[in-house]
Amino acid sequence: MAPSDNEVMEAVRDGKVEKLAILFERHQVMLYNFFLRLTGNRSASEDLVQDVFIRILKYRAGYQGQSKFAVWMFQIARNAHIDHLRKQRGDLPLDEQFAEPAAREPRPEVRLEAEQDIALIRRALDLLPWKKREILMLSRFQDLKLREIADLLGCQVGTVKAQVHRALKELSHIYLELREGRTS
Amino acid sequence: MNCEKAKEQFADYLVGDIKPSAEAEIRAHIASCVSCREEIEGLSALWAKLGVLPQEQPSGGLRANFYAMLEDYKTKPANRLREFWKEFWSFRKPAYGFSFGLTLLVVGIGVGAFLTGGGSGKVTALHQELQDMRQTVALSMLDRPSATERLEGISWSAGLDKPGEKTIVALVNKLDGDPNVNVRLAAVDALYLFRDDPAVKESLIRSLAKQDSPLVQVALIDLLVEIRERRAADALKQLIGSANLAPQVKEHAEIGLKQII
Repeated sequence: MAPSDNEVMEAVRDGKVEKLAILFERHQVMLYNFFLRLTGNRSASEDLVQDVFIRILKYRAGYQGQSKFAVWMFQIARNAHIDHLRKQRGDLPLDEQFAEPAAREPRPEVRLEAEQDIALIRRALDLLPWKKREILMLSRFQDLKLREIADLLGCQVGTVKAQVHRALKELSHIYLELREGRTS
Repeated sequence: MNCEKAKEQFADYLVGDIKPSAEAEIRAHIASCVSCREEIEGLSALWAKLGVLPQEQPSGGLRANFYAMLEDYKTKPANRLREFWKEFWSFRKPAYGFSFGLTLLVVGIGVGAFLTGGGSGKVTALHQELQDMRQTVALSMLDRPSATERLEGISWSAGLDKPGEKTIVALVNKLDGDPNVNVRLAAVDALYLFRDDPAVKESLIRSLAKQDSPLVQVALIDLLVEIRERRAADALKQLIGSANLAPQVKEHAEIGLKQII
């Protein structure tokens, strides 16, 4: 049976750093998509994935193995993303950074109905403020339980539930507006 | 359950991490509350749509950069020294925790070995570890649905000093059954590198009869000519005699056969 993420990370921590490649192969696409949804930039997303693995190497001695590896990894990923935002936006207070929705060009029109729907959902996600996008990314795509997300964000599980609900409602609102705009 | 309580649990309901009793309560509530029912139906539909958003693939540059970074980290003397000291002071392993004196003795012997030439052994072990990792990556990529990634997997396999049996089997499977002709061609080239292995030789000879693409047939004919064995000649004869063979391939095989004989 393949070793768990925690077992591999413990081996990395104890000096077998080449085993980091196993974790890279398991998580790079998921991390890349996580960052791509947050930044909308392919090149920056690849840099951020690389940054996460450099940080894992750097902080590996501090890995306790008590919580799920993915929770620890996403803590690192969030920090890498926040540092990326700081670099991008200079001296803006962090609260303002959090509040500002990502601005991006609309994606090109696609032909098939299903593809159009996917394009609309992506566009709606792009228009969501990044903190809400992040909570949806974590709860929908990363195979993390709400309790684990609460650990990761350092808040109560009830807060996470409310945030997921609010983010999804706002996404739904944007999505329906975009869809009506398309059909009208 | 009132609307407020129901909405507090919508996230659990969507994620599917909810106790059956709580789920039953929500279901009972939405059966009688139109507003909550409409909301949860809308959110569930969107939640499902989010789940089918296709994942995008990073470029090959990400993988290349990662392995360059890892190799650089492993081979930097400063990092290796850090590894050494970390091992030295680590009490995580039971062997080290047994007694500090014993640890000092063990590490002392280790240091002695390192200083008297054990260093090259470490480098060899490092090289082997890297080869093992490459093999793992190659195998994982050979299984991917994207042809580009499978091609990359073949290229990783070709870079191995001595591929294991699993990698050889995976390459032969690609050669015999991959739907993409470019992948099959790349597999021919990769296996050519390991032709000294009797199992590889055997698989290459057998594969000729399984191919239907003229491009792959020609590539295999060239390779079998290189092998110069009676069994390779037999395989060529069999191919020449087969029906529906493209005339150019037949001509190529006849020239090849003359070279072997």
